[in-house]
Amino acid sequence: MTNLDKLNKIFCEVFSVEESSLNGDFDNNSVDGWDSVRQLSLTSSVEDAFDIMLDPEDILEFTSYDSAKRILAKYAIEL
Amino acid sequence: MELTVAQRFSGQLMFLDLDRKERHLIAATDDSGRSITYGYICDFSEEFAKYLPQRTLIFILAENSIGSLLGYTAALSNRIVPLILSANTEEGLFRSLYDLYKPEYLWVPETKADGKEVIFSAWRYCLVATGHQSPQMYEELALLLPTSGSTGSPKLVRHSYRNIEANADNVRRLFKLNGTEKAMAILPMHYTMGLSVIASHLLSGATLLLSGRSLLDKGFWATLKEATSFTGVPYSYEILIKMRFTSMDLPNLRVITQGGGKLTEATWNTLAQYAHEKGKQFIATYGQSECTARMAYLPAEMALDKVCSIGIAEPGGQLSIIDDNGNETFEGEAQGEMVYRGENVTLGYATCREDLMKGDGNHGIIHTGDLARRDADGCYFIIGRLKRFLKIFGLRIGLDEVERIIKTEYKVDCYCKGNDERLIVLVTNPKLQDVLPAFIEEKTHLFHQRIEIQVVNEIIRNEAGKVINQ
Repeated sequence: MTNLDKLNKIFCEVFSVEESSLNGDFDNNSVDGWDSVRQLSLTSSVEDAFDIMLDPEDILEFTSYDSAKRILAKYAIEL
Repeated sequence: MELTVAQRFSGQLMFLDLDRKERHLIAATDDSGRSITYGYICDFSEEFAKYLPQRTLIFILAENSIGSLLGYTAALSNRIVPLILSANTEEGLFRSLYDLYKPEYLWVPETKADGKEVIFSAWRYCLVATGHQSPQMYEELALLLPTSGSTGSPKLVRHSYRNIEANADNVRRLFKLNGTEKAMAILPMHYTMGLSVIASHLLSGATLLLSGRSLLDKGFWATLKEATSFTGVPYSYEILIKMRFTSMDLPNLRVITQGGGKLTEATWNTLAQYAHEKGKQFIATYGQSECTARMAYLPAEMALDKVCSIGIAEPGGQLSIIDDNGNETFEGEAQGEMVYRGENVTLGYATCREDLMKGDGNHGIIHTGDLARRDADGCYFIIGRLKRFLKIFGLRIGLDEVERIIKTEYKVDCYCKGNDERLIVLVTNPKLQDVLPAFIEEKTHLFHQRIEIQVVNEIIRNEAGKVINQ
């Protein structure tokens, strides 16, 4: 599984969506039910899957599919 | 001092003594950045009464904002009885409560007024008439809250004016609140503990920092820097610790307090240690909506020693234990069902409109349904639960309720169990494995990753009807 596959799988499981809906519009404003429970579930799953520890600021910024990719790049995770 | 209804509403004293505060003091701020004073709350209550002069039943679709708060204070100050529900209540659940209790008015966010005739609006909220007549209501009935914030049970808790003020006063004494406090109020208004934070701080003439923001929103952290106290449920503290708030500079923060279920030992120790090192107070509390929120607390100085204890009865209350032999004791080591006495014990439940006429069914005493142990120092520890519900993210998930909504929707047998981490549903039909988590999440707002569906061959019951494949 590629890193992108791993990330997509996490998003799909947390939000119960198909991979096709993950795009630049997938964020905490447009996605119904994006709350702290889901955001923390996303960041915890990402930490486990990629064996990293996110800074608190990055957990706060983890508010869209695009920002997730941007943040992972900071931790040298190539997508 | 207890007042009769006639004294209370003869103009001598307003709800929570709101008219006895300095008028210019800030009562509340919210996410919009705006604020209101105590004088404004009083004036608003008078204005509200011009549009709604008679005692009646109103539904408030609440969010943690000034508009929502003003609906609450105006209703309570004018003897209008609100049922407070989340503004995010699922439509079907709202509809069933609406059809059952038939409120005469609604106080709702403007975005939810959809086409109805608006009588009055302020602070992005509006008053809407439904065309129903007011039900008959017991004269001391002040407020209704859902028993589970989520499963849409028609069962409501009936509060008297005295219940609310007794709880507010107990909490004020417990935390020694005064007008200098700025309380971070993030727990939802429709949730008994959220409302307890609001009432106790208004009684104290303090400032509420109302916020509907996620704890993972930057705005929340900016507001927290101003707060003198933070009240959360266990999950709030999971987030705070994850965000490493223990190493943040929060000089204004004096008290961190928790209710709404049990902390893990690890979280408890982190908080107790943090408070000890930084000169703050960590105060764990215990309560139920049947008792207008708070019932017990562990004094801050005992936090390091009495790990995961709910402590002692709050000021104004009394705890006891009834053991297996039916003996009730108030001190010394014991184990059994915990019982509470106090003026914050609510009137009882309502399950239909006619129940709003009922008087006090509890008479100041409640069997909590929680199994507790009391140690030699008089501190209580919750060790189990007699009633069938879970507390996940501070949400009370009634297992009978979840079974009911599944059976109604899918016409199948099922059985719910679990712990405060996860809800487990046993079903026999494998086709339900995939659909149930989303269905339960829609109905209860419980995050689907905390729901586990187990397919079993058969749900086995004994002669008493008790499910035995645990």
